[in-house]
Amino acid sequence: MIRAFASGMWIHVVQFSRNPFDLTGIVVWPILYATIAYYLLDSKDNPKLLLGASLGAAVMLMWSLVVIGSSNALENQRWLGTLELLVAAPVPFASVIAPITVASGVVGGYALVATLAWGTLLFGVPLSIAHPLPFVAAVPSCVLAIGMLGLVMASTFVLYRAAFSLGIALQYPVWIATGLLVPLSTLPAFVGHIGWCLGPYWGFQAIKQATLGSAGGAWKDIGMCFAVSAAYAVIGSVCLHFFERVARARGSLKLT
Amino acid sequence: MNAIRIFFVGGVTSYRALFNWVNPWVFVPQTLGYPIFEILFFSYLGRFADVQSDKFFLIGNAFMALAMTGFFGMGNAVGGERRSQTLPTLLASPANRLALFLGRAVPSILTGFTVAVTAFTVCAIVLGVTFTKSELAGLAVAGLCSAFACTSFGLCLGALGLRGRSVSLFADTIGGSLLLLSGANVPLERLPAAVQRVSNVLPLTHGIQAGRILGGGGSFADAAHLLRGELLVGCCYLVLGIVMLRVFEYIGRRSATLDTF
Repeated sequence: MIRAFASGMWIHVVQFSRNPFDLTGIVVWPILYATIAYYLLDSKDNPKLLLGASLGAAVMLMWSLVVIGSSNALENQRWLGTLELLVAAPVPFASVIAPITVASGVVGGYALVATLAWGTLLFGVPLSIAHPLPFVAAVPSCVLAIGMLGLVMASTFVLYRAAFSLGIALQYPVWIATGLLVPLSTLPAFVGHIGWCLGPYWGFQAIKQATLGSAGGAWKDIGMCFAVSAAYAVIGSVCLHFFERVARARGSLKLT
Repeated sequence: MNAIRIFFVGGVTSYRALFNWVNPWVFVPQTLGYPIFEILFFSYLGRFADVQSDKFFLIGNAFMALAMTGFFGMGNAVGGERRSQTLPTLLASPANRLALFLGRAVPSILTGFTVAVTAFTVCAIVLGVTFTKSELAGLAVAGLCSAFACTSFGLCLGALGLRGRSVSLFADTIGGSLLLLSGANVPLERLPAAVQRVSNVLPLTHGIQAGRILGGGGSFADAAHLLRGELLVGCCYLVLGIVMLRVFEYIGRRSATLDTF
């Protein structure tokens, strides 16, 4: 199972990195959101705020890649007629799907580098990471937390053939609820409570704490990333198992 | 006469096919969810940044919702045929190409208009923004001008679908660029001069500006030059799109690449 996960993730990272056109999109999108944030937040004259916006924009794209990339990957499997083969493979279906969602998050790492470089070179945003070691741990933790939330979402994509549209629709609600660019204090209080249940919130907090806050806070948030990832892994596996059985019973796996 | 028949029959058939594929009970909330949350996201970002009013972001992003359907409607009309391997068959027919693809796009654009209006209404209520009847009428006129300009621009994107396989992604990226370049979320005067020059030749820029004047209680005389500008931009892209459709179809036939995916 571990081998299936590791080799699957490697294959998908390579595949997602193959098309220069796709990569351009991966780099351009967070830069756009970060640029909008720079122009709007510029008036506050707070470099830390701009650096926080860079990190937020990068995590936004990580989530988009996971939710859109994985839904698109599953929809492609459907179109190519290979989804049934994946379901019939002699390993748990979760170990086939999880590499797709986590690999999407890994590719989002390009976005992090591009956004930080863009902000520094064009807008003079100071790139100073307060705690490098927690930062190095926070990035993969964030990828894992987002990827595992993607696994929960992907379970519905197995059942539902308009997966790609659902993936697109889920972008903004999660961006808002996790306070990536807009602080949760600006939003109604109940939104913050939703954010606590979402992986991108803890992933972003971990990266932000490591960059701008305290090392202790960063490690605590990294711990939360692992906790929510474990919870998502359990929920995702159960949902996948259930939805896979429903899809098999309905004979809808092949429907495009 | 035949072109009109193709426009209507092709459009209705493809629209019905969409609902055979996607359950309307799923399609409607999904289609509405994206623009509603987009408007709220940028409005709250604006509030946090203390830049402009909720009305500024509400109008800008409602127009963005309108634009995206124009882009994707046309882009997907061609890209969808390529994906389902029916593009060569379709282009082997003697049907008028503009009627063929526009017929498929117009129902999506009308849906987009309805979605944009609904999202605008819902977000106006959530954000507590109010408009008078005359302001709403002005916004509708500006919205129609922008819908025309964006559909014309979408025709160019659709034509690219005759040569490339990633048109949806391209349309998506162009649409994303408009979040910044059209002035939907950043006041144009804050952008560098070179970027402002690019903004002036893009669809939506003048439409949004006109919408903000009319939605803010201005008269049609105040916004007339902007509405004319938007229509002019739309006409230019329409001509360019028709030329691109012809040229790219010719190249695609010559190089036998219409069905590569």
